[in-house]
Amino acid sequence: MVHLVRRINLAFLAGLEHRVGKVRRIFYAMDQTPHELPPLRQRIEEAYLHELRSEGRPPVSVFRFCHRLGITEREFYAEYPALEAVERHWWRGMMERVIHSVESGAEWSDFSARQRMLAFLFAYVEAALDHRSLLLMRLGHKAPIQPVPEWSALEERFEDFARLQLMHGRTRGEIVSRGPLTAVYPKALRLLLRSVTAFHLKDDSPKFERTDAFIEKSVTVLFDLMGRQALDSGFDLLRFLVPGMMRRA
Amino acid sequence: MAELAGTGARVGLNYLKYYGQRAISPQTSEPALRVGLDEVNARAVYGTFSRLKGGPLKLAQMLSMDENLLPPAYAAQFAQSQYSAPPLSWPLVRRTLEREFGQSVEALYDHFSPEAAHGASIGQVHIARRAGKKLAVKVQYPGVAESMRSDLRVVKPVALQILGLREEDIAHYFTEVEARLLEETDYAMELRRAQEIADACADLPQVRFPNFYPDRCSARVLTMDWIEGLTLDRYAAGDAPQAERDHIGQALWDFYQHQIHVLHLFHADPHPGNFLVSEGHLCVLDFGCTRAITPEFHAKQFAFLNPELLESNQRLETALRSMDVLLPGDGPAQQTKIMDLARTSVELLTRPFRAGRFDFADPSFIRAIYDLGEANRQDRELLSLRGARGRAESVYVNRAFFGLFSLLHRLRAVVDTGRGSVSIVGA
Repeated sequence: MVHLVRRINLAFLAGLEHRVGKVRRIFYAMDQTPHELPPLRQRIEEAYLHELRSEGRPPVSVFRFCHRLGITEREFYAEYPALEAVERHWWRGMMERVIHSVESGAEWSDFSARQRMLAFLFAYVEAALDHRSLLLMRLGHKAPIQPVPEWSALEERFEDFARLQLMHGRTRGEIVSRGPLTAVYPKALRLLLRSVTAFHLKDDSPKFERTDAFIEKSVTVLFDLMGRQALDSGFDLLRFLVPGMMRRA
Repeated sequence: MAELAGTGARVGLNYLKYYGQRAISPQTSEPALRVGLDEVNARAVYGTFSRLKGGPLKLAQMLSMDENLLPPAYAAQFAQSQYSAPPLSWPLVRRTLEREFGQSVEALYDHFSPEAAHGASIGQVHIARRAGKKLAVKVQYPGVAESMRSDLRVVKPVALQILGLREEDIAHYFTEVEARLLEETDYAMELRRAQEIADACADLPQVRFPNFYPDRCSARVLTMDWIEGLTLDRYAAGDAPQAERDHIGQALWDFYQHQIHVLHLFHADPHPGNFLVSEGHLCVLDFGCTRAITPEFHAKQFAFLNPELLESNQRLETALRSMDVLLPGDGPAQQTKIMDLARTSVELLTRPFRAGRFDFADPSFIRAIYDLGEANRQDRELLSLRGARGRAESVYVNRAFFGLFSLLHRLRAVVDTGRGSVSIVGA
């Protein structure tokens, strides 16, 4: 009987390794851009990121960057107005890919606004695992309300997406219009995105489980606030966070 | 936390007293029982603990409030709100499955219900289908394992205050409870234990176990056969004839005796929701809380079932010392106190075993157990006894038996208690 148990355990472990490989395959597929970049833009982007990742800082000058890449400054400026724009554009591309992956899901049209935001954030933190070091570099030391210039294009793209979902929620009566307060909703969602990112970067739980719980609870609170429900979810979120706060204290 | 600090030991005691009386005589009219009880306080205590949810709630249940003694309305609430988190959203369930198995839900199952069928202790259960079989898929709430430790640390001082206990005296119990609660968050452990127990109990004809599907099981997800049936509390509250109740009660009794005395590994959470009656059989679900004991501990713990202990002070004293209930530093007065208590407890708790055939419907038995517990809690001399007493393993053994008796009482079953208990009496 003990042998039986052991055989089952071994089989399970063997299967696990196979499955870990599969996870990476599912999520790398998301990295392929739905709209392929023209070859020059792609080369510029790759070279920029390579330097950012390996040196821990972006390229120092356009001149040196172009020289290394073997292109002229004119060719560079035909694609981008500045070096900073390369990074901004890349972050925006990352956001674009996540949005595209969730919008093409089979259940998307049936999902409520709340479910869509959940699905989006789960897909987002999963994609973030491919770029953790860059996220740490750019957002690791900033509070969620502090602006991140490299993220400006990404946040614009996200806000467009968020507004669409809020509209979706309003038509279904899920989200209540509260006059001037309604203008705050997109900003609240932007803050949510930053908070989730901040939490994820500090999360050291196995398989980043706690981030999943954080996403679930914060979306619940936010959508309860925007909707008609009472605020029990606030207590649940606080309770989730409080032990952590007490640990740090 | 301020709410809890304000809830004193006296409130806790009254709460328990009220619940105990109501459980024993649920048909009695309420007003009579409400006299002498501060009902508002009782509700506040319950409300506070259920708001804390998770680890704190389970700890409270472990230490003082056996949900089987709670009145039906509260028991139902405790049963439902075992973890009391809001249900997982469908996107989160989907994500959890994908994260655990690296495949989409569609690839894992032919059909999967987005809504949970019911809650589980620290997760929820969904109905799924695969290869024509109806399945129960238990998904754990993310972050529970992480929170459990900090939850327990937060609630411990409060629980101590409510129960009027000292930390140093029961530190080993807390460690035991904490270890079990943490184990419960590892579904891979649950799978192993479930299979061990099921294999070892294969010869018990009236007890059934669901099949598990290891390739759809992980530390956070369990997949098993879906079993149709009534949970034990609903079955007990129904109109099944006495012969059937006796049959199910006997199956439950034999199952526990076999686990504890033969397997030395037992299902330590005899909560009615963990058992189903299906097609006239007793089905055991949820192996999240199991406890293994050593043969050495087993021998000592069950030496107490020897009726000769009740006649010989010498033998009783030896047995109590071997279990660290009597400590070397105890003076004569303390020793007498403890031995008197032990004698009463042993007589009471072994009554079903010594009877050979026992009617668990007898309200005086459950009441006597309850009164004993309450008397102990109010006993000043007892409360002033210092020292870490008793073995940690006893916490769950006692809980298992206590829970078993309560379940059988609810079933109103008459059980042959001499069967299956391998050379217990007179050992």
